[in-house]
Formats: sequence, structure tokens, C-alpha cells
Amino acid sequence: MENILEVQQVSKTFPKSNFTLDKLSFALPYGAIMGFVGENGAGKTTTIGCILNTIHKDIGNVKLFGKEMLDGDTDIRERIGVVYDTDNFPGFWTVKQLSRVMAGLYKNWDHALFQKYIENFHLPATQKIKHYSRGMSMQLAIAAALSHHPKLLILDEATSGLDPVMRDEILDVFLEFVQEEDHSILLSSHITSDLEKVADYITFIHNGRLITTVSKNDLAYHYAVMRCKESQFLALDPCDILACRKRDFQIDVLVADGKKAERKYKDVVIDHVSVDEMMLLLVKGERI
Amino acid sequence: MKGLMKSNLYATSANAKIFSAVMALLGIFMIVMGSKIPALIIGYMLSVMVGFSFISIASVCKDSTAKWAKHKLTAPLKRADIIKSFFASQLLWLVMGMTFAGTTVTLCIALHGYPFDRTTDIFMLFVVGIGVSLFMGAIFFPLFFLGGDERNEVLLIVSILCSIGIIIGLIILINSFFPSPMNTLQLILGGTIILACSILTFTLSYPLTVKIFKRKEY
Repeated sequence: MENILEVQQVSKTFPKSNFTLDKLSFALPYGAIMGFVGENGAGKTTTIGCILNTIHKDIGNVKLFGKEMLDGDTDIRERIGVVYDTDNFPGFWTVKQLSRVMAGLYKNWDHALFQKYIENFHLPATQKIKHYSRGMSMQLAIAAALSHHPKLLILDEATSGLDPVMRDEILDVFLEFVQEEDHSILLSSHITSDLEKVADYITFIHNGRLITTVSKNDLAYHYAVMRCKESQFLALDPCDILACRKRDFQIDVLVADGKKAERKYKDVVIDHVSVDEMMLLLVKGERI
Repeated sequence: MKGLMKSNLYATSANAKIFSAVMALLGIFMIVMGSKIPALIIGYMLSVMVGFSFISIASVCKDSTAKWAKHKLTAPLKRADIIKSFFASQLLWLVMGMTFAGTTVTLCIALHGYPFDRTTDIFMLFVVGIGVSLFMGAIFFPLFFLGGDERNEVLLIVSILCSIGIIIGLIILINSFFPSPMNTLQLILGGTIILACSILTFTLSYPLTVKIFKRKEY
């Protein structure tokens, strides 16, 4: 399968904060949504910065549409829509001014489409952006990101701070966007329920390192969590354990193949694993 | 580039509207007063040219209050284009200031006669106004992208003080080369030297700012 985005061995060190993004690699195929998950400070925004060249990576390659994006590659940036978590646009602008600026920046700016989103999201067009609620300003940023007909959307915590109704509306917009098979979304989010709803792949990072990338199908049908007593845990084959976490009188064990584990360990309770639980096990648990 | 110019215009327009209104009122006052107080005309011409330039470069700081400065980098623009738009915007606002100054002084002269002793004085006032404005931008832009937006107020003050200092320094230097009193040709030559220095510095500041901005991370 061809990839719209390929991150290969990307590293970036910030000497002042002592944070290192360490040889991160993942790929986002065409037509897919990838959730990008990690705790605060895990390196999600740094990774997005390296992808978009707002941060200069130390080493590694980032390929967008099969090509490394340099400063002069404006044609690649024409095909990317970006939404940051807050204050994407100056607060003193109105929607009309935003549209005029964007029309001057993007060759494919579609004012009619932008207006359609503004109407669908019920955004007051005459009000200055600074008077918008957080949810409204995120909707505006999403409308702006979609209105130049991008092929790749990169969203950094774009749904955080939104109420469930608004999030649901926005997730529907994302799902509609990826109906086109050459459209993809990289969605960094803390709200794992959103990712469970829309993401095809989930990439977990922790402390600047990639933990794993899993497909949602694998997560739903293969990955599982075993609820073990201490004696049961000691009897497990270490090869079956991806990560484990002790909780009171129980040890939760993440396994890659729940059905195999069910057959092998008949007396152990095995549950489906949620993105949240998987992240907690991978981040806070012990990885074998 | 068109989008960037609009973005810069919106950042400047709120301040520019108020400044334009104040300067228009002052201009009317000057036209009514005529040539009675030449110092007023000098003050007006300098402040209107430097003022519009100051408003323009100060608006650069507004970008960083939102994530717009970062967001712009994701748009189909080269980093050099972003810097070019700031320099171009400052030039446009300087032209606006010159238009205000030129219109007011022309009306003053037309209605009340020439207010100064020498014919070159108006030219020299334009030279000083343009010179301070261009030096101010040339100093501010690289410092802003080098020093970070949290220091923008002090950088604005430093750039305006430095630009005034440079102009005074150049005038002293030129005066030391020509015997006093200077004739018209020497005054025009002196003014042209100041103008050339400011244009050269402004022009050289652009690639320097681009170089600094290319390293900047958001």
C-alpha cells in the first residue's frame, strides 16, 4: 500500500529541555486516519513540527506524497491542511478577513465550500474570532483547513476541549473527508474515544519514542488484556507478554493475540483492550 | 504573497486607522496654522513618516500572539516570502506616511507660502523621515526573529533609538566632511548619502532576516 506520509528514523533533540524525539518511524497510508497517541510531552507536537518543517529535525526523513518537503516545495503544502489545538488565527480577524487571507495563500481556496462549513457549524461570520468559544474557533480552523481541498489533514489536538456533540460533528466531517481514497488524516489526540471511533491505525509514542503502531482491526480483534492473579502471571510465557501492569491484587497483561491466549491460558479472564487501557499499559506498565 | 500582505494589513489596520485620524486632524491644524510655527511642520512630517512605519513593524509582533506565525509556515509559502511581506508592508506604510506628509506640507506651502529658510529643508525632512523608518525596520526585523517575541517591546525601542542615533551620526559625519555653511548641492549630496545608506541597510537586512528566520522553529 502506498503511503501519503512516511516518517523514517526522525530524531530531534532540544538541549534546553533535555527532550529527544528518538528515531521515530511510522507511515500513514492513503485513505486512512491515523491516531497519534501519547501522554503530554511525549513528542506528538514535535513530530508534527518535524513533518511540517516548523521544527528542523536533526536526522531522518519525512516523505509527504512520496517526496521530502523542503522550504521551496509550496506545491506539497497546497495539499496539506493543518489545525493546531488553539488560536490558529489572529483574534482580531473576522471570518471574511480569514477567507480573504486564505484565498491569497492557497491556489485552490474554495470560498463557497468555506461558507458552507461556516453555515453548517453555525459560526457567526461578522464576529471577531477572539469572541468565539474554543469549540467555535476549532470548527473555524477545521473549516479553513478543509476549504483549500487538501489531501492530507494534520490535526494537533484538534478535538480537545470540545463538547461531545461538537466532537461528534467534527469526527463525521473527518470520516466524510477520508471517503476520497487519496485523502488521509493524522490526528493527534488525548481523547482516545475519538480515535476508537474514526482511526484506522493508532500510533503510540512515549518519551519521544515510538512504542507501536496498530491497526484498529488488530486492536479490536487481536489485542487483549489478561487479568491475572500473581500465580497465573508467573506461569505465563514471557513471549506472550507485550506489557504488564500490577494493580492491587491483579496484574493486567497486554497480549497481541487474545484468541491464542484464550486457548493457551484457559483459567485467565481475557478482555478486549481499549486504546486508553493499551496506552496505560504501554506507558505506565512494564514492557517485556 | 497576496494573502500575507492582507494578513499584515489586518494586523496593522486597527492602529493605522486611529493614527491616520489623528494625523489627519493634526494635518488640518497645520494647514490652518500655516507657516507660523515651522517646528510644528518638522515634527509633523517626521512623526507621520516614522509613525506609520512604527505601526507596521510593531504589527509583526501580533502574529506570535496567536499560532498564526506557526500556521503560516504550513501554508504554501517560502519562509523568504513571509519576511518579504513584512519588508514590503513596511515600505507601503512608509509611502502612506510620506503621502500624508507630502499632502499636508504642499497644502501649507500653497496656502501660506514656504515656511523654511532653505529650499532643501523639505527634502532633508523627507530624508530624515525615510532614513529613520528604514533603519528602524532594518534593525527590528532581524532582532525580532533572533531575540524572540517576548522581547518585542524592548526591541522596538532599541530599533527606533538606534535608527535615530544612526541618522544623527551620519549627519555629524557628513557635516564634518563639508565646510559650514553647506551649499545646496552639498546638502542634497548629504541627504542622498543618508538616503542611500538607509536603503542599503534596509536591503541588506532582508537576506539577513531570511537567514535568521530559516533557522527559527515554532
